[in-house]
Amino acid sequence: MPLIVDTELCTSCGECVERCPMDIIRLNDDGYPYKKYDECWYCGVCEEDCPEKALVLDIPFLVK
Amino acid sequence: MNLETDILVIGGGSAGTMASIVAKEQNPDVDVIIIEKGEINRSGSIAMGMDALNIVVQPEISSPESYMESAYVAAEGILDYKPSFVLAERSYSMLKRLESWGVRFPRDNDNKYISLQVHAKGSFLVEMDSPELKLILAEKVREAGVKVINRTIITKLLVENEQVIGAMGFNIRTGEFVVCKAKTTILANGGCSRFSLPNSGYLYGTFDYPGNAGDGYSLAYRAGAQLTGFEYTNCSPLIKDLNCPLLYITLTRGAEVINALGEKIDLEYVSTQNMLKELREGRGPIFIKMNHLPEERIQEIERILFTTERPIQKKFWENRGIDFREGLIELGETEYQLCGGHGMTGIVVNERAETTLKGLYAAGDVACVPFQHLTGAFVFGEVAAEEAVKFVSKNEQIKVNQEQINAEEQQLLSLMEKNKNGSISVQDFEYKVRRTISDYVVPPKNKTKLNRFLWWLPRFREDLKNIRITDYHELSKFQEIQFILDCAEFSVYASLTREESRWGWFHYRTDFPEKNDKNWKKHVVLEKGIKSGEVQTLLVPIKEGGEN
Repeated sequence: MPLIVDTELCTSCGECVERCPMDIIRLNDDGYPYKKYDECWYCGVCEEDCPEKALVLDIPFLVK
Repeated sequence: MNLETDILVIGGGSAGTMASIVAKEQNPDVDVIIIEKGEINRSGSIAMGMDALNIVVQPEISSPESYMESAYVAAEGILDYKPSFVLAERSYSMLKRLESWGVRFPRDNDNKYISLQVHAKGSFLVEMDSPELKLILAEKVREAGVKVINRTIITKLLVENEQVIGAMGFNIRTGEFVVCKAKTTILANGGCSRFSLPNSGYLYGTFDYPGNAGDGYSLAYRAGAQLTGFEYTNCSPLIKDLNCPLLYITLTRGAEVINALGEKIDLEYVSTQNMLKELREGRGPIFIKMNHLPEERIQEIERILFTTERPIQKKFWENRGIDFREGLIELGETEYQLCGGHGMTGIVVNERAETTLKGLYAAGDVACVPFQHLTGAFVFGEVAAEEAVKFVSKNEQIKVNQEQINAEEQQLLSLMEKNKNGSISVQDFEYKVRRTISDYVVPPKNKTKLNRFLWWLPRFREDLKNIRITDYHELSKFQEIQFILDCAEFSVYASLTREESRWGWFHYRTDFPEKNDKNWKKHVVLEKGIKSGEVQTLLVPIKEGGEN
């Protein structure tokens, strides 16, 4: 259940990492966000609070 | 990190932010610290906003007395008068406070707030249009000069001579040990959402915010405070699989619920129990039907559902190809949870938000003010702050015994070393614990079944030493699963004690299938045995109006 990141728009600012209520997002070696832990509540904060609107949150497969 | 403050607020959600803002408003010289497990801008159960204040008693429209009638019906009489009365009495000024902060409450053509009836005896639910609610509260916290420590889980309260004097925990990213000494502490860290397993099998696909693992219940109990209502394991019929809410928004706007036979279900003020009964009695699946509603009404429903509280619903329906104008919305039973907001579970509190432990207040879902909802979190956040400020003016900081601090730090540090090569992943362990809760702790209940969980409990606690912990995030999950285990233990003991059935299905015992008001119109209260450390149960009379 990935975070879909538009690498053209993402500035690696880390706002999604800071805002995630479950603290499951980290930046990978290229500076783009991914879900490090499989504990997403699909609240949508990462998508909503991204200043560049570079993120699309996918719903976990088990509940999709 | 060593902190010292006048007032420590544990949890920066609805109740905790309100408490800290009001404390500073009461006395700007009082030092206030919030310790929050997430990040304050988007934390707690209202991270993405909320669409209603469920309880508002508007002058000249309703009265606290009429709210009390509804509250007694909902709680089936298991309700102390004063806390719920205070909730009703202060609800309107709370709405006005929020409105003055920029929270929008829409009005109708007659300039009246839009209220809807979801209670037995009156229209108390007032519509709120606030996707930005949490951001507004967080901004007020900053303006007030409250210090916020984010990403920090509290693992133990500091206690000296049966008085709470602060708390300890660690940063879930860096592992930094945090001690906060405080003259008084307000617990505002939610209920236990991660209780039984959701039917989807996805551990974090819960109705309520899954960061709430019963932390506050366990912390308060271990410190010596009394708990109550743990037999009331409750669930709701929500969007099947996704477990997101939509009942009030759709049903109060004309939607209907139908069963598999196409029959309309009698909802009696949005009685979720009637819906769940259809499922249990084999007349499911059940659906919300909206295709008879006018286009403008459907657009209004979509606007609220897709922008506030759980906006993910938009993607969910698009993915499944369902349009509310034609398709039916299947409802499923959520996992069972323990909650003082939409249930009757929590730390014992009075109308001053005082727990049974000196120096400890509780507000929001962690406290038992039955069905207090978001209004209760705000009102008792306010009440707790007023009382805490008074407490601070009369009490000095008690000296903390350094040994209990060293012991907790050592315990946490040693886990990182001892458990780094454990054979069981935290996910597998949580799955098995919660699956076992599903098997034995939730309704239908009986003595043999409940005791099966007590057979598992010491085995699970023994398994803890084999859980693999490779970083501080996993260490925080390890702590949370222990909170969940504690909550399950509390629930089993409370359920065994209440030898009757009450609150419909939620405490239904097949070996005591009848409700027995004569013997059981009382609270089942839990506390830690002083010598044994085991759960003690007490039966406590209901406090009527006028008593203390």
